[in-house]
Amino acid sequence: MTPQTVISDCGDAAVVVRALHADAADRWRMVHVLADLVEQADLDGLYGVVPTYDSLLVEFDADRADHETVRRVLDQALRGIRPGESLLARPRLFVVPVVYGGEYGPDLDLVASQLGITARQVIELHTAAPLTVRCLGAPVGAPMMDGPAFPAPVPRLPSPRVSVPPGSVAVAGRQAVICPMRSPGGWPLLGRTPLRVLDPASDPLTPYRPGDRLRFVPIEPQQWDEHDGALLAATDG
Amino acid sequence: MAETLTVHRSGHATVQDLGRPGRARTGLPANGALDEYSARMANVLCGNADSAPLVEITMLDFACEPSADLLVAVTGAPADVTVDGVPHPQWEPLVVRAGQVLAVTGIRQGARAYLAAYGAFDADFLLGSCAPDTILGFGRTVRAGEHLALGGHWPSLVHPVFRHPFFRLRPPRPRFGSPWTIDVTDGPDLAEFGESHAVLFAAEYVVTPRSNHVGLRLRGEVPRRAVRGEVLSRGVPIGAIEVPAGDELLVLHRGRGVTAGYPVLAVVTSASLSSLGQARPGDTVRFRRRTVADAVAAYRGGRAAVREVRRRVRTAFDALDIPSPSCCQRRQP
Repeated sequence: MTPQTVISDCGDAAVVVRALHADAADRWRMVHVLADLVEQADLDGLYGVVPTYDSLLVEFDADRADHETVRRVLDQALRGIRPGESLLARPRLFVVPVVYGGEYGPDLDLVASQLGITARQVIELHTAAPLTVRCLGAPVGAPMMDGPAFPAPVPRLPSPRVSVPPGSVAVAGRQAVICPMRSPGGWPLLGRTPLRVLDPASDPLTPYRPGDRLRFVPIEPQQWDEHDGALLAATDG
Repeated sequence: MAETLTVHRSGHATVQDLGRPGRARTGLPANGALDEYSARMANVLCGNADSAPLVEITMLDFACEPSADLLVAVTGAPADVTVDGVPHPQWEPLVVRAGQVLAVTGIRQGARAYLAAYGAFDADFLLGSCAPDTILGFGRTVRAGEHLALGGHWPSLVHPVFRHPFFRLRPPRPRFGSPWTIDVTDGPDLAEFGESHAVLFAAEYVVTPRSNHVGLRLRGEVPRRAVRGEVLSRGVPIGAIEVPAGDELLVLHRGRGVTAGYPVLAVVTSASLSSLGQARPGDTVRFRRRTVADAVAAYRGGRAAVREVRRRVRTAFDALDIPSPSCCQRRQP
């Protein structure tokens, strides 16, 4: 069976594929497997692929590749995808200590009131289960995860912050993220981790990959210095 | 010992190249010269690879002095290019003798000029590119007093031909100056705007001071999305015109984060991205709707022009016995 997708032009140098499967995990798996296949297709002029939750952006040099060729590669790759194909043979677990609320998470109370629950309940839900990294995204190398099991989506801030400190732990919509570097941001901030999640001197820049899981653990502000500046590392090798 | 370019005056200049576009999957923005066409052409006029490191001079005056005779080219927005006070044309190669002062001043009708040098500049590289990444804290502003190392070696280029005005390669120059006409193709979320999408092509937009290499914020009448509902973060191309809920359009440029959650109404064409990279705060922008086929043809036309100038440069260099510059050195920080 051909996977259910829609392919559209996205400017003169990109094509976007959207997955329409009923199941969110299937959509996610499909766009990432498809991204691998496109990278392996040896397409002249390919810049790169950006698979996210349910969408795949394929960027290319419009001087060397064209939309028809890219669509042909995508069609062929789609035929090779088997349903239920797994993404990572061995997903890893990362434990992320977080100081919640106060100056560390200035929007914790706002999010609690928007969701109609207490700040403590927000923290409980945010730390209840590991969250799966779905893709790496903005501003740079950020682990974009499924949001916690909140009762409703979380609205973005009406006015984005000019500068969000590195390690900030944020949520928006049905998504969760850690902000790796200081950057502007419009997502409500629940807390902040003292760990570094990105190392500009390493390649790859981040220790986690799509499919890995991050588990948030609340710590007290006094415990900040125990972790400060350490690089996030998997707990299960 | 490596020859250098001593910087005498610099307001806001950086060492740039064409960025790192192949790393979006790891969440890394492309970055690189905002006026890609001018940057390519500056390098090609010096015999360099299109993507060789060069200096991007933004708005403020720049002056420098090479320690050895040096072939350079200045492209980009109109500016006054002088060597020891004597005016020289932009968009043509010229020789600066050791100890002479090359100045690029009065940048106008655009924001950026590009200075390339034969053999390119020796730069620090991160993940395959010397382009600054402000989020990662990589790359730096070129400051007065600094010595930019020139990559590789070159023979003496003192040749009478370079001092005479008949040495002309005549690369096609883009049109500079406000109002900017920026070509776009339909975005993947155009249908969500219903009839309101037409506003984009009727209105005029003003570039606000909160614009930079990440994106331009444009003030003007904003099309309204007809449907509501959350948008999951997804990959967005350079040039995406996003429509947040507020009263500004956001046009993503080369420093853009690779994912975003706003609907994409239109996408600036690859050719027009170079023009948009020249727009200054206060400038007016008008959008023109184009087909993807037209946009591709326009971009290929620009790249063909770069190849044609490369051919003419090679012919001229061969005639003058100038070898191709040795490849620029690459160094990881």
